[in-house]
Amino acid sequence: MIKVLYFAQVAELTKTRQEDWPLDAPVSGAQWLESLIARYPELAPGKRLKLAINQEHAPLDALIRPGDEVAVFEPVTGG
Amino acid sequence: MVVVQEADFDAAALQQQLRRRTATRAGAIVTFTGYVRDYASDASTHSLFLEHYPGMCEREIEALCAHAKSRWDIDDCLVVHRVGELANAEQIVFVAVASAHRGEAFRACEYLIDALKTRAPFWKRETLADGKKFWVEQRQSDHEKTEQWNPPSTSEQAGDK
Repeated sequence: MIKVLYFAQVAELTKTRQEDWPLDAPVSGAQWLESLIARYPELAPGKRLKLAINQEHAPLDALIRPGDEVAVFEPVTGG
Repeated sequence: MVVVQEADFDAAALQQQLRRRTATRAGAIVTFTGYVRDYASDASTHSLFLEHYPGMCEREIEALCAHAKSRWDIDDCLVVHRVGELANAEQIVFVAVASAHRGEAFRACEYLIDALKTRAPFWKRETLADGKKFWVEQRQSDHEKTEQWNPPSTSEQAGDK
């Protein structure tokens, strides 16, 4: 199981901010994003999705492991 | 010190706070304040809503401050960033850097605001005067500004700007 957090426009599109996601073996960020988009096809068009794993920016080839906190969002726009 | 809050801040009081904390060591304090403004030339901005990732946000900005301290000779930094609903012309962000020398303070302050814009997990939703709402997209120019600070060794060797 992993804990998934959605922010900003991504949260609006998935209509949820947080959910538990079954995961029993490590998977790359890119592979996991494919399963995310399969579940939420509205995330696919033109979205530049970024991941943070355990509250750190993560490249798409980073591994997601059971127990991780994974956040999904578009490029940040603070400041 | 890094604070993310909904409440407005007193920029002068924050600068005094940093001044007291670094008194006798800091010969210079450089500050930056960011305000909500009209972002498009053909539409006026009514307000911004800022969302953030609590926890990661503070840690990310702390990491940027730690990086600034390792790269420049600075004594301390202070960052306050607001979230929630902000009306046009309100304050959004405050960055202050104290150093023995002004050059280091200027560079570190500019680095911090540039890097914050592309690294700290905040997202802006803009509401125009006509009621239209949309999530703001990251500007390519902001991305490039942050990239210009990398890699540290190359830019510093290139004439120590």
